[in-house]
Amino acid sequence: MIKLISGLLLRALVVLSGTAILTFALLWNAPGDPATAIAMARFDALLSDEVIDQVRAEVGLNRSFWQAFGDWLGPLLRLDLGYSAVTGRAVWPDLRTAMGYTFPLAFAALGLGLALSVPLALVAAKRPGSLLDRIAVGIASLGNAIPAYWLGLILILVFAVKLAWLPALGASTPAHAILPALTLALGVAASLTRIIRSGILEARGQPFLPAIRRRGVSARALGRDHIAPHAAIPVITVFGLELAFLLEGLVLVEVIFGRPGLGTFLVQAILARDFSHVQAVVVLTALIFVTVNLIIDLIYRVIDPRIGESNA
Amino acid sequence: MRSVWALVIILILLVGLGPALAPYDPTAINIPKRLSPPNAEFLLGTDALGRDILSRLLHGARWSLGLAFLISLISLVIGTIIGLAAALCGRVTDWALMRTTDSFLAFPELVAAIVIAGLIGAGSWSLIFALSITGWMRYARVARGIGLSVQNRGYVVQARLAGLPGWAIARWHYLPSLIPSLTVVWTGMFARAILGISALGFLGFGVQPPNPEWGSMLLDARVHLRSTPLQMIWPGLAVVICVLAINLTGDALRDALAKQDTQA
Amino acid sequence: MLKVRDLVVKRGARVTLADISLSLPAGETLAVVGESGAGKSTLIAAVLGLLKPASGNITWNGAPTKAIRPALVVQEPRAAFNPVLSLRRSVMEPVVAQGIALAEGRLERLCAGLELPLELLARRPGQVSIGQAQRAGILRALIAAPPLVLFDEPLSALDTVTQKHTARLIAELQAEEGFAALIVTHDLGYAVAHADQIAVLKEGRMEEVADAQTFALSPKSAYCRTLRDAAIALGALEAVA
Repeated sequence: MIKLISGLLLRALVVLSGTAILTFALLWNAPGDPATAIAMARFDALLSDEVIDQVRAEVGLNRSFWQAFGDWLGPLLRLDLGYSAVTGRAVWPDLRTAMGYTFPLAFAALGLGLALSVPLALVAAKRPGSLLDRIAVGIASLGNAIPAYWLGLILILVFAVKLAWLPALGASTPAHAILPALTLALGVAASLTRIIRSGILEARGQPFLPAIRRRGVSARALGRDHIAPHAAIPVITVFGLELAFLLEGLVLVEVIFGRPGLGTFLVQAILARDFSHVQAVVVLTALIFVTVNLIIDLIYRVIDPRIGESNA
Repeated sequence: MRSVWALVIILILLVGLGPALAPYDPTAINIPKRLSPPNAEFLLGTDALGRDILSRLLHGARWSLGLAFLISLISLVIGTIIGLAAALCGRVTDWALMRTTDSFLAFPELVAAIVIAGLIGAGSWSLIFALSITGWMRYARVARGIGLSVQNRGYVVQARLAGLPGWAIARWHYLPSLIPSLTVVWTGMFARAILGISALGFLGFGVQPPNPEWGSMLLDARVHLRSTPLQMIWPGLAVVICVLAINLTGDALRDALAKQDTQA
Repeated sequence: MLKVRDLVVKRGARVTLADISLSLPAGETLAVVGESGAGKSTLIAAVLGLLKPASGNITWNGAPTKAIRPALVVQEPRAAFNPVLSLRRSVMEPVVAQGIALAEGRLERLCAGLELPLELLARRPGQVSIGQAQRAGILRALIAAPPLVLFDEPLSALDTVTQKHTARLIAELQAEEGFAALIVTHDLGYAVAHADQIAVLKEGRMEEVADAQTFALSPKSAYCRTLRDAAIALGALEAVA
């Protein structure tokens, strides 16, 4: 067991380092001279070659790649995210503020998605092949094809513009989070419904179930003890993938709804060539993603010891 | 498989003939008629610059679909080569390539594409690069799995003993086993590429104006949400229909393959 | 002449073959007999150059065996053919791969020798009987005229009548083509009937190597005597006075 955990941890570490290096390399080699861009942002009319060189030295753009990487990695490992050359402020407070808008939205979307998908899946699985089932699966397939940003715009149109029930842009009140959460939740629900449904169907197909039924176990207990855990396995497996879709959707939804979360933070940082900000978001995202997948991997192997080294 | 071919042909026709069916030049600006709702003259209405939306949609297929096709094929080639190399070139190479694949998979692909496209600079080429380089991993995993299982089959051993060169073995003995599964992956990635292109277009990072890519059309429409809401419906609908068609085809293919496996 | 000297094969830390030495002159047949797990298939893989031995060497006339492109006939013919290609394509693969120009009529002659109708080659492996598929496998093995052919339980998947028939065809072709044959089999009767030498493998070691007739008459070790007596009892081997 220890060997397994340390193996997975090692993999996670290698993967994180790889991501860090790749991101850094990308930023380093991006076209355009960031020093000029930053200097322009800061000094405007007073721009001159000396000023640009000064900025370059100050921001440290005249170092070699590995030097710069080391200078960034060192403090990072001490949990110091450094300063942004564009805003002049420390990175962490701004990042934390953005996280404060994104995380609640993400959890709300996940919760709402689950709340929507479980009943739908149960209804669909009740009688596979029935009209109800096919409608449910159809809706789910449709949900997978609808881009989050389009759905968001439609929801804004319907609920904010035409019906004026809910606010659209900004994030000042909790009510502002309803439409974004709904947009994301529908996408999550679309994928989850199909997976939960097939999980239930497969769990029901387990050969030993009729025997247990004959012993007098109630349908409810059967569902609780035998079907639900088995059906949960593919859901957990897919969770890592779902998270990816969710993160991608978050970026787009935040831009549409004008929420100052991590998505908007990232897009603005990219446009402004703010290295520190981009790196911070990328590292944070990678960290979340790798950690969640690691936990999922562990849970998966604990639940189902049959899973061997299929991917190593 | 036949439905996949049918789909591909339909999409190719759409991309190829669509522009010919367009009633107007998609870039023709017509300010007096701007922001008009659907009418007899402009079947789907006009956008903020008076351009015919229907024509833009039809031309846009070339971008949203055509580029997606290209991107998914590029990733297919990259991923298959990497996956086969991992399966066939020894355990060290396998470990290194698989860890690299994991590194790339460790990050949500679209976010990575946004970062890459955004930093390299807007435009179609950076779009192609960004989406191709974040899309090959699933192919690699599948190709590796199949490569590993085919490697030890009797006829591959015979071919190696006979002295058949590596590329010929790959062409005649690995390919037939690879094609079905890779096609299933491809349909999924094609759909993802369409969504990716339009997402990047929507953020302004992808295909640039005046090219009528569906995502950037949505971006234009967003500004006029209140005045001409319908304008927003069409590009999104186009994306949904194409993605849905591709996903359904992919599902049908996957089911057919699964049935084949259980029969074998 | 195939010479195997002091061959040792390891799998991880485990020794699967130890101190194997044998020699097989051109045109002759050596039968390798043993229980399952004795290491027979490992020996074949080693001779074919498919795995790297821990020590020892395997040569044909002094050069590594890979140089002469030895051929392999396996137990289950359908696994050895690509299911989507016609038999003809698979059979011709060795000549195509080595760029050899096939002599006029050679394919027809070999087909006749194996009692395989030429039209059958147009079919796919799944469309012929197992006996026919096995003979197609032998055809593929012989098409490029290798000096050494290895057989891994070539008759085990066939029914008894076909077994005897196929064994005879192989022997006749060997007389014509002149290849050396290393045949792995668990059928002692087959070995005694068709081989010049018999080698017995036990748990990765060479228990005994002898001329076939000598072996049938008086095997040296107790284990080999048990093997021989069992074969006689089963009717696979005729008792010798």
